[in-house]
Amino acid sequence: MKAYITKKIMALPLILIGVSIIVFVAIRALPGDPARLMAGPEATQEAVDAMTSRLGLDRSLPAQYASYAYDAIRGDLGISIKSKLPVVDEIGERLPFTVALAITAYLMAIGIGVPAGMLAAIYRRGWPDQIVMLLAIAGASVANFWLALMAMNTFSVQLGWLPLLGATSWKSFVLPSITLAVLPTAVIARMTRSSMIEVMSQDYIRTAYAKGVRPATIYWSHGLRNALLPIITIVGLNFGSLMGGAVVTESVFNWPGIGRFLVDAVRYRDYPVIQGVTLVAVTGVVLMNFLAEVLIAALNPKIRLD
Amino acid sequence: MTMFVKKRRFTLACAVAGSFALQFAIATAVQAATLNVMQSEAPRSMDPGDQTATYTASLLDPMYEGLLKRDPDLSLKPALATEWSADGAGLVWTFKLRQGVKFHDGTPFDADAVVKNFTRHLDAKRGLAASGRLRTFLEGVTAIDPMTVQFKLKTQYPAFLALLTTGPCLMVSPAADAAGTIGAKAVGTGPYKLGEYKSGEYVLAVKNTDWWGGAPKGEDEIKWTWTSETSVMNMALQTGDADVINPFPSAFAQQVKANPEMKLSVTDGSAVFWVSLNTKMKPLDDLRVRQALNYATDRAGIVKAFTQGFATPANSPLAPVTPGYDKTLDPYPYDLAKAKELLKEAGYPEGFTMSTIVQEQEARIGELLQAMWAKIGVKLDVRKMEGGVWSKAAFLDPAGKEKDGIGSSIASWSSGVNGADLQFRPLYYSKSASPSGANLGFFSDQKLDGLIDKAASTLDEQARNAIYVEAQNEVNDQAPHVLLFTKQDLFATRANINGVWMIPGGGVVVKDATKD
Repeated sequence: MKAYITKKIMALPLILIGVSIIVFVAIRALPGDPARLMAGPEATQEAVDAMTSRLGLDRSLPAQYASYAYDAIRGDLGISIKSKLPVVDEIGERLPFTVALAITAYLMAIGIGVPAGMLAAIYRRGWPDQIVMLLAIAGASVANFWLALMAMNTFSVQLGWLPLLGATSWKSFVLPSITLAVLPTAVIARMTRSSMIEVMSQDYIRTAYAKGVRPATIYWSHGLRNALLPIITIVGLNFGSLMGGAVVTESVFNWPGIGRFLVDAVRYRDYPVIQGVTLVAVTGVVLMNFLAEVLIAALNPKIRLD
Repeated sequence: MTMFVKKRRFTLACAVAGSFALQFAIATAVQAATLNVMQSEAPRSMDPGDQTATYTASLLDPMYEGLLKRDPDLSLKPALATEWSADGAGLVWTFKLRQGVKFHDGTPFDADAVVKNFTRHLDAKRGLAASGRLRTFLEGVTAIDPMTVQFKLKTQYPAFLALLTTGPCLMVSPAADAAGTIGAKAVGTGPYKLGEYKSGEYVLAVKNTDWWGGAPKGEDEIKWTWTSETSVMNMALQTGDADVINPFPSAFAQQVKANPEMKLSVTDGSAVFWVSLNTKMKPLDDLRVRQALNYATDRAGIVKAFTQGFATPANSPLAPVTPGYDKTLDPYPYDLAKAKELLKEAGYPEGFTMSTIVQEQEARIGELLQAMWAKIGVKLDVRKMEGGVWSKAAFLDPAGKEKDGIGSSIASWSSGVNGADLQFRPLYYSKSASPSGANLGFFSDQKLDGLIDKAASTLDEQARNAIYVEAQNEVNDQAPHVLLFTKQDLFATRANINGVWMIPGGGVVVKDATKD
């Protein structure tokens, strides 16, 4: 176990180097030039060239990457082209908001998705199953952009119950986290259902029924506990798509997190910001997957990590 | 032991929640005297000389001043300069500066500060975003005495005084500029100073009680926020999260007109929309073909479909607010028969195929033109592009455009009240052919070049405007563009907001705005 954890931690820098190179090259391969965008449409070629050299973009790609990587190792992700502030500070200011939103959404998704999936499995083919699966399909298919706008119009504009934008109080969390939670809730509910159905057909469940264990105990202690592993796996793996959802949700709700920051940065081709945010997001995803693996190993003695 | 741990965790949670709650309480307590303004994009810099964006300029306006300022009636008035004069040729300008002005950081405003503010733009190594225009005509700035400065121009420049009210000519604290902090922390001389800049959330400007002009007329604070979602902006106005929204999405105009809690402002704008035709490419190198496309364009139809009627069909390369604009021109009435006849003369009786590049938000224009031009047999291939991709393609040189088959580009240009030269020179002057300028179709016409230069060196306004009428006719005759329309500027406020006004081109001025 210890060896496994060490190995995983050692792998993280390699993953980050790989991702940083891909992102670095990919955003520069994108058409669109930050110097031209900064200097504006009226700029002469001379002005664009001056801006290019000021941004250090006239150097060769390897040279640019080398100085970026050198700074990044020392914890300096560069200066945002747009805000002129250090990217590290900019991310530091926003990351707590994204983490808070992601945790709220995830707790919501697990808190609703798991019981809903269990309900569907227990009443398999009955009406609770059909309702849960219908909602799960709807939840997995709806565009959260559209859902966000509808929710805003209903609860903020028409009813006035919840704040429309920003992160100003606990109420601000309600709409964005629900919007963000819809997709993972649906995924978790479906995973829980199929995993539970499989477990519930096992011999030991039948034995438990036969020896007169209360159904509630069977569902929670015998059923869910054994169905948990695939659920944890899916929760861990879905963290990446949750980050993707955060980009859209944060943009619509003016949420001051790193998702919205990334969208703005892409629009202005703010290279240092795009690079920095991607690194942080990738680190988060890798750590979450890693955490899920460790958790599974801890819960299931049959799985050994080495 | 377990209990204890749990308790401690709980206390910690309370402390965290409490500190959050405290922040929110502070935030709500100051709400009353704050003017909330929401725009469609985030500020690009806190340095007015290092950005070229309309909405950034609006946000910085309450904090910065130039030597001259523009009044709500759009006339030019003294600001940090009290009087000025020019020599007979219009090449040497002398300004007397206002006494007793201080920057927000305490640096005195004097001739030395003015010289430093302009020298930074003339220094090619600085590469400031807004330097380009100044560098084309400004030779140098010198201090005559501590309160007098002299500008030497390379060439006459009719828009000189107007330009002094805009971004690159707004005075930033030389101390903050030297320290390299001005891009992230605004320091000007204006009636408001920077309170807080949270780059992901808002910019807060607070009243500058030491302002030379006395007590600022506006609200205690101005809070700027932004979203790129137009529907979100509209909702923010409805809930009162925003007191002012700019630009106002015209699709929601009926909704606001019907709502007594909101006010819609519609004024003549300065953004002229056009299709730039690639005059170096077949068959658009043929004047008759370019004219045919102009006759086949139903401008009123585009205005109705694309802007919900909030635009004026274009009859000139200039916007109606631009000095020298001639409203009597009517070069290309919608006339399909005439268009077909011209195409036949040019040897394309069955029409031809061409392409246009357009940014997402203007893609609808491309689709409308596609349908209109199909009626004369022209098959328009509309290539929608994301902004950054579009500008790369639009500024290609003739060879690059030939290679990619780019026959035309849809775009707009806004120079507005700053004068006709700033519309003619970048768009139609032969030396402005892209990539060096925004003459995207490589139009080259000696007569027009001559008129543009002659107007620039004509100091008498009436005589100059007469030359610009000739220039408008020449552009219309040669049809390097299919001119489409001039957009009106729309912004909306809550009904209790007074004193917001708009500079043609889309920038709101809110520093004198009050809330009832």
